[in-house]
Amino acid sequence: MSLELMAPLMFGGLVVFLLLGYPVAFSLAFTGLFFGVVGMQLGLLHPSLLQALPERVLGIMANSTLLAIPFFTLMGLILERSGMAEDLLDTIGQLFGSIRGGIAYAVVFVGALLAATTGVVAASVLAMGLISLPVMMRYGYDKRLASGVIAASGTLAQIIPPSLVLIVLADQMGTSVGDLYEGALIPGLTLTGFYALYVLVVSIVKPAAAPGCPPEARTLRGRALALKVLTSMVPPLVLIFLVLGTIFIGVATPTEGGAMGASGALLMALAKRKLGWDLLKQAVESTATMTSFVIFILVGSTVFSLVFRGVNGDLWVEHLLSGLPGGALGFLIVVNLLIFFLAFFLDYFEIAFIMVPLLAPVAQKLGIDLVWFGVLLAVNMQTSFLHPPFGFALFYLRSVAPKSIRTADIYWGAVPFVCIQALMVTIVIAFPGIVTSHVSKAAGAIGGSAAEELRRQLGAPAGAGEAPKDDAAAQIDRMLKQEK
Amino acid sequence: MNKLLKFCSLVDRANERIGRAAAWLGLLAVIVCAVNAVVRYAFNLSSNAWLELQWYLNAATFLLVAAWALKRNDHVRIDVIAGKLSLRAQACIDILGGLLMLLPACLIIAWYSWPSLVNSFHIQEHSSDPGGLIRWPVRLLIPVAFTLLALQGVSEVLKRIAYLRGLAPYPIEQHRQESA
Repeated sequence: MSLELMAPLMFGGLVVFLLLGYPVAFSLAFTGLFFGVVGMQLGLLHPSLLQALPERVLGIMANSTLLAIPFFTLMGLILERSGMAEDLLDTIGQLFGSIRGGIAYAVVFVGALLAATTGVVAASVLAMGLISLPVMMRYGYDKRLASGVIAASGTLAQIIPPSLVLIVLADQMGTSVGDLYEGALIPGLTLTGFYALYVLVVSIVKPAAAPGCPPEARTLRGRALALKVLTSMVPPLVLIFLVLGTIFIGVATPTEGGAMGASGALLMALAKRKLGWDLLKQAVESTATMTSFVIFILVGSTVFSLVFRGVNGDLWVEHLLSGLPGGALGFLIVVNLLIFFLAFFLDYFEIAFIMVPLLAPVAQKLGIDLVWFGVLLAVNMQTSFLHPPFGFALFYLRSVAPKSIRTADIYWGAVPFVCIQALMVTIVIAFPGIVTSHVSKAAGAIGGSAAEELRRQLGAPAGAGEAPKDDAAAQIDRMLKQEK
Repeated sequence: MNKLLKFCSLVDRANERIGRAAAWLGLLAVIVCAVNAVVRYAFNLSSNAWLELQWYLNAATFLLVAAWALKRNDHVRIDVIAGKLSLRAQACIDILGGLLMLLPACLIIAWYSWPSLVNSFHIQEHSSDPGGLIRWPVRLLIPVAFTLLALQGVSEVLKRIAYLRGLAPYPIEQHRQESA
């Protein structure tokens, strides 16, 4: 057998082994080791290749970007159980309730707010499914609209920083997490706008699907309501500042931002007297097991890619993808269709750990901006949460939705939002400016570069000023642009 | 078989204890990291030893929890096809997977990590950054974690064989958690 045959065989073998349904991490490691041993027996690989393994594992252990995964997970779990989402939904729902489609807007808005606070989809979907779905049903919302808008708004956590997907993507592509965060901000907010726009269109075309709530549904009015809105907005805004503010201003690395956010969430839960021993224990243990399986997939994929590169698999993929008609655009279209299709079966971290290391070098060779490419993939992968029948957001919603909502309703409800997602992918491809004009190139290259310094200086007044905290980042960038 | 099942429950309990204990190191990592960030910003102080402690703690968490996660069936699978098979067929897949995939992979990684650990201990290897921590304790985590994982793998295989022979219930506790 020749070396050229090894890479395709290895890739085919991986697909077969993964489909067997044994845990992904070990299937990956096994495929790598199996072909590694075969390659050595045939004299195609150097016998010392596998000796590099422990150093690779040590490299993953010492990776400070990946440290952010447990931090943000813990933060999300603590917030989920300390009732922040509930407070927000109650009050914002009252605020928007009377207009047509009001609760749906509230869900989109709270979804975006929660997304900017943590990076955890499950927390948002569960909370909104438990609180808003029954209310929407009571006032006669269309079941499909109600479930679709909840599932979709929950997935905003995947694209609006501080998202775990972006951390994992940045790590795999070798770009800075901060740059990806900044690049994803506008697309994420645009997407939020599209969701709201969709609710508006439905409420005009089919008014019966998205009614307003009758006046007696609003227990709070006037000053009492205004006060409640203000108090419920404080915790998320403080957390957003703690996490995103410190990252964008340049005070903290994303990893430190995660640690600050998790500590903030712990203190907040403590202040609200919601932080019991059981809650803490559960959150800590869930965080640890989740981190473990995610990082073990990375360990597995490292074993795989070590051998895959050894048999020149990277060159094979590059040859396959760079020879596509249409050059960079052809590559982007094929890659996006591929990921869209894979998202039916795989989670985002499986795609990120298996596919992205193969795709990123090709993208770079074709002269594609990696930050833009990363945001594009992130928007695309967001759909993996919404795809019937395996989308996680749909699973979570099913687990809390009342029986009167059929699974088919949840599936059909997600379809328009998957279409919006596809539209957004097209927009990002057509107008790279919404990602890249936002990110200063120089900042990505070296941490201490001039732009980063400038941002830090400009950041201080913006952060301390009157501007709402979540707008601080946008403001810094506006100022940065004027400087140029 | 009974003796073997006793071995299984011993391994299960040991790994659960280790896993539950190691999980708390993750919380410690959060606190260390947040304090590091605050201290650096407020007093312009930073110590490589404390910065390295963050990833030492996190590495210990995810490595030592892995075996317990395997027992809880938390490691992600692609169950598009396998999910539709009978429990017996799934047990067969897990037995084959455990023997042919998990065990060799764990043992190879544990085996290859040994020489670098011994070497690191002999030369008292330190981090290349000034004031950094000594390296062998984290290197030790690799063979320890993969040996624990291999033991758990053996236990999972044995429990499924017992299930196929009608001696024990299906060993998976179902609690899938969030993936984000």
